Amino acid sequence: MNTKILMFLFLFAATFSFSQNLDVSGTVTDQAGVPLPGVNIIIKGTSKGATTDFDGNFSLNDVPIRSVLVFSYLGFQSQEITISNQNSLNITLQEDAEALNEVVIIGYGAQKRKDVTGAISIINSETLEELRPIDAAQALQGTSAGVSVTAPSGSPGGGYNILIRGISSNGNNGPLVIIDGYKGDLNTINPSDIESFSILKDAQAAIYGIEGANGVVLVTTKIGKKNTVAKISYDGYTGIQETTRQLPYLNATEYALILNESYAANGNALPFPDVSGLGVGTDWQEQLFDTAPMTSHNIAVMGGGDKSTYYFGGSVLQQDGIISSDKSNFQRANLKIKIGFDINEKLKFTTSANYFNNKRKAIGENALGTPLFNALNYSPTYSLDQEDVSGFLGNEVINPLSQIANTYNNYNGNSIEGTFQLEYKPIEGLTITSRIGVKTYNDKGKSFSPIVNYGSGKVFNTDRSTVNQSRNTYNTYTWETFANYSKTFFENHNTTFTLGTSAQRDWGDGLNATGFDVPNNSWEFADISLANGLSEAKSTGSYIYDNRLSSYFARLQYDFKGKYLLSALVRRDGASDFAPQNRTDYFSSVTAGWKVSDENFLKDSKTINFLKLRGSYGNLGNNAGGDLYRALLNGEATYVFDGALVSGVATGRIPTPDTVWESAEKLDIGLDINLFNNKVEITTDYFIEDRNRLLISNLPVSGIVGASAPGAGLPTTNAGSTRNKGIEFFINYKEELSKNLSFGISYNVTKIDGEVTAVKDDIISEGGSFSVGQPAIARLEVGQPIGYFYGLKTDGIFQNQAEIDAAPSQTGLGSATAPGDFRFVDTNGDGVITINDRTYLGKPQPDYIMGLNLSFDYRNFDFRTYMYSEIGKETVRNYERDQPNVNRLNLYLNRWTGDGTSNSVPRTTIGGTNNKLFSDFYVENSSFLRVQNIQLGYSLPKEVIEKLGISKFRIYASVNNAFTLTKYRGYDPAATNGSAIGGGIDYGFYPISRQYILGLNLSL
Amino acid sequence: MKNYLNKITKTLLTLITVMITNSCGDPYLEEVDRYSIDSESYFNSETDYYNALIGAYDLLQATYVNVMLGEIASDNTLAGGESPTDVIGFQQIDDMIHTPVNSNLRDIWNWMYAGVNRANFLLEFQDKTDFVGKEIIIGEARFLRAYYYFELVKWFGPIPIKETRFEIGDETTIPRSPVSEVYALIEADLKYAVNNLSYSAPQVGRVTKGAAQALLGKVYLYWSSEPNVDKFSEAATVLDNLIANGPYDLVTDYNTIFENAGENGIESVFEVQYTDAEGAGFGCLQCSEGNVAVGFNGIRNYSGPVFDSGFSFNVPTQDVVDEFEAGDLRKEVAILDIDAWALQTSATFGIGNEHTGYYNRKYIARKGDLNTGDQNLTNPNNYRAIRFADVLLMAAEAYRRGNIDDTKALQYLNRVRARAFGNTNHDVTATGDALTEAIAHERRVELVGEGHRFFDLVRTGKGTLIPGFTANKNEVFPIPFEEIQFSNGNWAQNPNY
Repeated sequence: MNTKILMFLFLFAATFSFSQNLDVSGTVTDQAGVPLPGVNIIIKGTSKGATTDFDGNFSLNDVPIRSVLVFSYLGFQSQEITISNQNSLNITLQEDAEALNEVVIIGYGAQKRKDVTGAISIINSETLEELRPIDAAQALQGTSAGVSVTAPSGSPGGGYNILIRGISSNGNNGPLVIIDGYKGDLNTINPSDIESFSILKDAQAAIYGIEGANGVVLVTTKIGKKNTVAKISYDGYTGIQETTRQLPYLNATEYALILNESYAANGNALPFPDVSGLGVGTDWQEQLFDTAPMTSHNIAVMGGGDKSTYYFGGSVLQQDGIISSDKSNFQRANLKIKIGFDINEKLKFTTSANYFNNKRKAIGENALGTPLFNALNYSPTYSLDQEDVSGFLGNEVINPLSQIANTYNNYNGNSIEGTFQLEYKPIEGLTITSRIGVKTYNDKGKSFSPIVNYGSGKVFNTDRSTVNQSRNTYNTYTWETFANYSKTFFENHNTTFTLGTSAQRDWGDGLNATGFDVPNNSWEFADISLANGLSEAKSTGSYIYDNRLSSYFARLQYDFKGKYLLSALVRRDGASDFAPQNRTDYFSSVTAGWKVSDENFLKDSKTINFLKLRGSYGNLGNNAGGDLYRALLNGEATYVFDGALVSGVATGRIPTPDTVWESAEKLDIGLDINLFNNKVEITTDYFIEDRNRLLISNLPVSGIVGASAPGAGLPTTNAGSTRNKGIEFFINYKEELSKNLSFGISYNVTKIDGEVTAVKDDIISEGGSFSVGQPAIARLEVGQPIGYFYGLKTDGIFQNQAEIDAAPSQTGLGSATAPGDFRFVDTNGDGVITINDRTYLGKPQPDYIMGLNLSFDYRNFDFRTYMYSEIGKETVRNYERDQPNVNRLNLYLNRWTGDGTSNSVPRTTIGGTNNKLFSDFYVENSSFLRVQNIQLGYSLPKEVIEKLGISKFRIYASVNNAFTLTKYRGYDPAATNGSAIGGGIDYGFYPISRQYILGLNLSL
Repeated sequence: MKNYLNKITKTLLTLITVMITNSCGDPYLEEVDRYSIDSESYFNSETDYYNALIGAYDLLQATYVNVMLGEIASDNTLAGGESPTDVIGFQQIDDMIHTPVNSNLRDIWNWMYAGVNRANFLLEFQDKTDFVGKEIIIGEARFLRAYYYFELVKWFGPIPIKETRFEIGDETTIPRSPVSEVYALIEADLKYAVNNLSYSAPQVGRVTKGAAQALLGKVYLYWSSEPNVDKFSEAATVLDNLIANGPYDLVTDYNTIFENAGENGIESVFEVQYTDAEGAGFGCLQCSEGNVAVGFNGIRNYSGPVFDSGFSFNVPTQDVVDEFEAGDLRKEVAILDIDAWALQTSATFGIGNEHTGYYNRKYIARKGDLNTGDQNLTNPNNYRAIRFADVLLMAAEAYRRGNIDDTKALQYLNRVRARAFGNTNHDVTATGDALTEAIAHERRVELVGEGHRFFDLVRTGKGTLIPGFTANKNEVFPIPFEEIQFSNGNWAQNPNY
């Protein structure tokens, strides 16, 4: 009210002072000359204005001379006209590149997309709505350049690993996830509650200092807009899942014949003298896999009043496993609330809370002796309930169905997370924000191991039942206060200054215990309270952790006329995990941009609507490996005195007092281009990252320091460097072909070249196992990609004795060579084949990551498809037990059986051969292209839904994980456990299911 | 204007106040809630020393692999296992084709040095806190250090030694000490233990004066295999003292020694303690509280009475079976003829690699234990590291080979033989070299399966009896390849590897 009176007085005064007013009228059109109805026209600094009519005409009376008229219209750039003495105005509004004005969160601040000088990928709620991912991380897969998302397992609730610009560290490569300002995890939030992701990929993330090196994923959750009516929406789907693949294995007769051949080759009696009645036998994979349902319901309400905005959401998800759904399943429930409230004109309060619950049951996977591994190795001649009583298949392979029947566990985790935020705007341009984000996650787990006997000598036999129970608490809080001050100096010098401080604490503890002798050997009674058996050994454990960061940061952003952009930032972090003298460091970066399209020579270009050149450089940290500087007394010291266990004290991992975090130096040069009326958007980046002071855990050290004592461990220290360089390219093209038909295509590709550039003393660290008792097969070595596979190279198969005699001796590998065995390559040229001839055989990280997303909209139908591809990577086939009697792939039907029969698959024998040693025979190309989602939707026409009084009604059918093109023989070419060293080794990954889904989106 | 300044001041004050409150500064980093005791702030009470001592004992259990390989490397047993590539390191040692890259040999290096460091941790802080009876704990720690160093010098020859914990970097500065220096340190440690311990330990399983004397005598015998070294009289003295003054004797029935009931019996001078009370996994075999060797030695896919199944490693050769004389009661105890047993009991079993038909009956899995965790890794059979019979034979050897007293040598030898045959009809009467041979033969049959054979052959210059053995090379094992690399030129590889 007051302002209106003031305004009136001002206008009144102005009228008298100048009394030079005009009546102005005119027409507003778009670039094509089409009149624009409903354009807002306002006299700047007043509330006086008008709106164009249906023909784009407007008129305004009593407009003071030298006042400014502002023309604004949704989807178009606003235009300002200073009134001199013209009465008639013809205005052409320029179409706005919507995306360019999108506000992008960059950490302790926001920028318009067109002003961004860092390498940022943005994914908004549209993508999430189309993909309907189970886990928010899935929405990043294939949708943004430079980001790869892999699943270690297709088991329900199995989780995802995110990599931004490849693997730089041999340790933790996961990005920092910030949800509305607090440190969180993507798996605890309901994907439907997410408004957008901003992914900081370059040195701009240095504002997150010691936690920024792996990139930062900033998540903004949804909230309503002011003065909008409540929008209530329901999204739900239901579907069934099935396995995408069953591996081609031998049937009973083929199996028996091959075994007979193996025995005969070694001069032994045939195990199956009569194969006539065996038939095809049992297909264990067929027995294991089943179809399984999944459903999801999601309800959200959002809106806002004069001073407040709100969002409420609730969801439940149930996903059963495609292997024994009663033992492998996942349920998730989320409740979300977010409220914004203006306390007064200067003070704004925002709070959010998210409750998350997940329940999970799981079977063993991706390890020797787990059900899927056993299904592949178990004999097809056995009947469904037949145990390998005689131990024919060795000590580790057992009936997978019995194994699953004897698997009992459950898991339940709850978290509450949220923020309280106050924003204070005391003076023009200054915003002071203080917020506390908290998260507490509690879980409990129970597993029961019944008394069971799978046959003689089986390692899974249990003579005594046990129940194991655990409770864990994980807490985080982040308290941050920062001020942003924006001011324009001398008209064209725009500056924003940010200054802030942050305190962060991650802490928690856990307890676990085992009870013995569960009553009735039954899951029903599986609880420590009932399991009263005593154990001589300690059967309880606990842990505690507390890691803190204390930080200060400052950033200056400057631009000249919005054309030349520059920013510089610095953060000082102190981290509690390191020796007191090594706790603090400074991280900093500079970024710069040049909007070439604002220069005169491009300003009027019809083709190039936008062109920005940008670059960034800075150093960041990866806060890995705390508490390495001292030797804790957490080793194992257990011995037997007086016939009973006694426990003492011993040191744990070998300490390295000078160890600090990893540091990263990142350089990025990028280009953003919009072409052809902003229909084509291109973003491309070239980047180099040097990761230094790599925390090499399990750094091999001389055995004399005692690292292999029970409960001790190899030291971790800063001992290596890697370099990742690459190119990202993203293109998006949208076209409205007619009023009824539009389409869009979006493609991104990332090429990453990673290499270990230095390791102290050229020490090679190893990881990843193959078969049993063989040396580690994955390495970190200078000049090679991180975690590359290392083994013997084959050069076909010896066809006859003459070839063997002519070739370098292979006996140094442990076994004699016979025709039908691999011919290994003498890579070191010393004339004999030994373990020293091992060499590069492949790598688990792809050269190229690609995403291709297509959309078509025709009238009320919409079609979407998302594809994801990784090219240039390998996976190790390690689901074959090295035991003479187990079943095997039908690949072995093409084995060598005599001179000239095969040059790729070796002979079969139960005698000792070198063929089972890790070689390129076991390394497979696992490049793939996967159609992740195909979706067809139909929305009821506007007329109909208006009659029904609703705003949206859409039904859709979709297929997730529709099909995969690959040469890889295993279940899933995309699967990896995510380890930098030891990833990409396949013990029989639980395949990601193919999902047929029917869904409904409804909004009131 | 004043108003404006006021506003700015207020704003700045607000900002500064909030920021100062929020900014916790570096003390915030100190207040962490976690365990604060670490290796350098320990040893404040008698209990602390006792606890650290348990840590030093722990690695004795890891010597199971030394025992297994002491047999496999010799002419007593073959590697066996499931297939010719099953634990390739064992197979290569059996065939004497081991190279410096052998993870099982490296285990011995790593685990024995882990033991050395556990003992050194305690000894490094031995003066920090005083209490009554500390010399006993120190004596035990020094015995354990000697035990681990002795294993290392047996396997690898010259080795780096230190009396405090080894640190990263020592591998490039501390040289491999000549064998004589290693033995001198072992001798000093054991003499301290002999002088400070008594024949009865505070708890069963802890080191006694007798154990220290026996090990010292054994060390002297090994030391005497070095050129121009003759420690036989020292060996004879300390072993004779032990025989005369110690509370040990031979049990009557050889068979009872290796059964559960016979553990820590009167014949046991030093025994490594194992239990079935705690689970274990393949990821950390040295962490098992059970005797891993027993499961590895066990009968493949066995189903029948008395025994439990195992992995069929370490299978006796016909040669060692034939070494037993007729009437030797020890043969049935030491060697299980699985075919005969199966015939007798209807037991069934599987055929593994290098199946000889024999098993090392002293150390294969028995029925009746708890089978906790992985039952193959948690067998409770104690390892009788030094038996009184061994002491008698070592004493006999010292008297004979030192040319000190053949009569005394015969007396000790025949004491062992009398028990073995149940009468004195098989007493040896030979002297001189023939007596040396008789003692060597007796050691082989008395101690078969107990891990001594390879070293007995090597230290008496008879390594070439082992198939594949190369003289002037295979007397010691190669230093692990990785260690040579770590040493950055500080350590040379053993000759001819």
